[in-house]
Amino acid sequence: MSSTITNPLRVGLRQERVITPQCLVIFGASGDLTQRKLVPALFELFKQRRLPSEFALLGCARRPWSDEEFRIRMKEALSKQIGNENKIWEQFSSFLFYEPVDLQQQNDLLKLSERLEKIDRSNATHSNRTFYLSVSPKFYGSACRAIHSAGLLNDPKRSRLVIEKPFGKDYGSAQSLNQVVQNCAQENQIFRIDHYLGKETVQNILVLRFANTIFEPIWNRNYISSVQITAAETVGVEDRAGYYEGSGALRDMVQNHLTQMLAITAMEPPGHFDPEAIRNEKAKVLQAARLADELNPWTCCVRGQYGPGGSKESPLIGYQQEDGVSSSSTTETYVALKLFIDNWRWQGVPFFIRTGKRLAKRLSEIVLTFREAPVHLFDAVGGSPTSNQLILRIQPDEGAEFRYDVKSPGSGMRSRPIEMEFSYDQSFGEPSDEGYVRLLADAMLGDPTLFTRSDEVEAAWRLYTPLLELIEDDPQKLPIYPYESRTWGPAAADSLLAKNNLLWRRP
Amino acid sequence: MSPQLTLQTPLQIPPEEIPIYLQQLWSSDQTGNAGSNTFCLLVWQPSWLEQQLVRTGKINGPIIGSHRQEIIYAARKFVLEGNLPHSTTPFDKSITTALGNKEGSTSAEDLRGQHINSAISALQPRRLITLAPTLDPNQNLQTMVAAYCPLPEDGANKAACGDVVVLRGHINSLTEGLDIIKPLLPDELPSWLWWNSNLDEVPDLFDQLAISQRRLIIDTALGEPGRCLGLLHSRIKTGQAVNDLNWLRLRNWRETLAMVFDPPQRRDALNHVSQLDIDIEGNHPVQGLLLAAWLADRLNWKFQSSNTFKDGSIQAIFKRSDNTPIQFRLMPLPIGNPSIHPGQLVGVRMICKPSAEKEVCVILGSETGECMRLEAGGMARMELLEEMVPIQSNPVEKDVARLLSSSRGNTSPLLAASSPIALNLFNSSSADN
Repeated sequence: MSSTITNPLRVGLRQERVITPQCLVIFGASGDLTQRKLVPALFELFKQRRLPSEFALLGCARRPWSDEEFRIRMKEALSKQIGNENKIWEQFSSFLFYEPVDLQQQNDLLKLSERLEKIDRSNATHSNRTFYLSVSPKFYGSACRAIHSAGLLNDPKRSRLVIEKPFGKDYGSAQSLNQVVQNCAQENQIFRIDHYLGKETVQNILVLRFANTIFEPIWNRNYISSVQITAAETVGVEDRAGYYEGSGALRDMVQNHLTQMLAITAMEPPGHFDPEAIRNEKAKVLQAARLADELNPWTCCVRGQYGPGGSKESPLIGYQQEDGVSSSSTTETYVALKLFIDNWRWQGVPFFIRTGKRLAKRLSEIVLTFREAPVHLFDAVGGSPTSNQLILRIQPDEGAEFRYDVKSPGSGMRSRPIEMEFSYDQSFGEPSDEGYVRLLADAMLGDPTLFTRSDEVEAAWRLYTPLLELIEDDPQKLPIYPYESRTWGPAAADSLLAKNNLLWRRP
Repeated sequence: MSPQLTLQTPLQIPPEEIPIYLQQLWSSDQTGNAGSNTFCLLVWQPSWLEQQLVRTGKINGPIIGSHRQEIIYAARKFVLEGNLPHSTTPFDKSITTALGNKEGSTSAEDLRGQHINSAISALQPRRLITLAPTLDPNQNLQTMVAAYCPLPEDGANKAACGDVVVLRGHINSLTEGLDIIKPLLPDELPSWLWWNSNLDEVPDLFDQLAISQRRLIIDTALGEPGRCLGLLHSRIKTGQAVNDLNWLRLRNWRETLAMVFDPPQRRDALNHVSQLDIDIEGNHPVQGLLLAAWLADRLNWKFQSSNTFKDGSIQAIFKRSDNTPIQFRLMPLPIGNPSIHPGQLVGVRMICKPSAEKEVCVILGSETGECMRLEAGGMARMELLEEMVPIQSNPVEKDVARLLSSSRGNTSPLLAASSPIALNLFNSSSADN
């Protein structure tokens, strides 16, 4: 629970970098992401006085809206966030503009260039432009070409391109898309967004690991026996069936969000806090990662699909009954995997990854389980000694906990586990920003630290290629196990851990 | 990061030719010849102490204009040799004055304005104009120009070039040559004035340079406190963007104090502050007053009255929003080996008396001895929250670079809100005594 009383001494103390005069151009501005995430994040940046006074947001889409219509629609979409801050919204909305653009029409591109020049003059944005592709992934390549052909990416210092996930749908398509994008812009202009990296708690993994001396010496195969990474959702497919049917949990969550969490958890310390140094280490660890058995990938992956569930009072339908989903769909809504990382630090340590929709709880966490004490001197209250665990809670209830054994009260010498807690809420009492707030600011600042580089994206796709090929060529080897909505997924997923005498954590 | 020199020897050209020369240098018809599109920085760089130390042979040249260790060491040594109070800070005017009475005529190359600190050059300023007054009253105005391209230390290929202009001469000749400055600061780029000296020297020149559209960088630890606070307040009041290095150095104290009250369960104590004690080095009260003023503003305290005592301490009364009085005391402590910044904070003690709970005593100290001093008097009977605050020891150029890279072109609203309270605290107490 967040405290409603803000710390009056904290105001103005955040050290924020200053965004240079800037025009942010969103392609796909009539879409859901713009209303739900991008404009709210920009409004938040505005309220925090982090946008420069020389700023403009130009929304572009095919719909023939005017500036005013765009502003009204955004206001409607943000009505909850605006609350009684109408005055602030009015100030912010004066920075919003709209231009109907079909990127495949030469004339529209000319009109767009003219409009941008006009905005440069009216809002003093100095030709600094960030182009945000919030369009369907199938148009990423053609959109890049169109923006490039209009000469809008010519100045590598003043123009940037932000590309939403998913970046490709497999290794080959990611490579092709990288080629297209890199033909249109230099790598330092390209910002591949993964909003998980915008989360404070994900960034905190870097600080936890590399700002403290106590963790790094034990952050390796000598002390850690296994790692579990979970991203669980309680919601179903909602209104994304059209996209999700062709994607599934593996492409939608594992290849990007979970793999990024894996990379940050497992990477080597960078030499210094520099975007390239960090991205080099992330790319290296992903290149060293592999499925536990690449030759028999079906042995290290379990797929599932949610069926009906819920209670009598609020029943939940199964995936196949959702609007827009085929009644014989074989798209996975749950996936669990076992990976290894072949390097000195992690050789032999299994990494278990799972994600799913309609699971029992909404949470994302990373659990590092440490090796047992070599000799058990004490009886454990629970019958057997428990391993120490470091649990990094990404969301909700952001924080960390460390489980270790203490003496159980009483005259004997029996051990039992307890938790040592760190909670963002208890320590800081203020909610952290949405991932998009951080990432949009970083993109406009030209800071690529929290964006994925081409080699990272390709390494992440390559990691799952044996599975994607198997699903394509021989799907019966990776059957879809049904599971009841609002449970922790199919029982078959337990078999992945059973070989290591482990269980999935049930938080 | 090491300072960087201009790549070419500065060209000495007559003042009136400088604008044309620079215009040609960056003319857009020469391909690949665009200057960086960032900001211009005008620096008042007298470096009186360095000049006197060189003149009297206490350090070797060249004269660079930075606060390098050699100067600080020589100044501290001179404090002992010259029988000045041991608490004299290295850049105190009294050292320069005492050195001025010493014999000496050693000269050295003057590289002020050509020796660019890498923290600043990394920001790729479009133009650096340095006003370098000399000790020699017969020194006529010399103007020099050089183009430079900072070489990024990480080897990245992202250099954008700028130029440096140096105006050197005695104050009188510099004042006569001020007309050339305006055309050298293009309207389309933000321009800054960094007054790298005492705020009470050459006030007319300050007023001429610190015109309203220029963003100011000053240090309210340098100069007579009343002048520093008055100038800070009056400039902010006019709407000018003012950045104070003394305020910037308070950051660690403000951050630590805020950190103490980050856990929500502690926040209620902030509504029940009954006493605030601030200890400072030496007798320059501005930084201490700014901290008190910041707290008063953030916690809605109303200033009631203040008094200054012979030992330089200031006592004041604030009232909380529930009309409960708050005792404030600013205590100057004589320190043997003071920091280079006059009036640096060394300790803060804040006592909060929530009605139903145990009293809370927050102690922040820059060293353990100070914490022990503030713990005395039975503080341990309260809930004691103590933190050490790391002393700020950044080179001034690094602090300036931080301001240049983070300012939005306006005064920090917190500084703007604090400066009138600090001025009030100072003026009311001075008026009474």
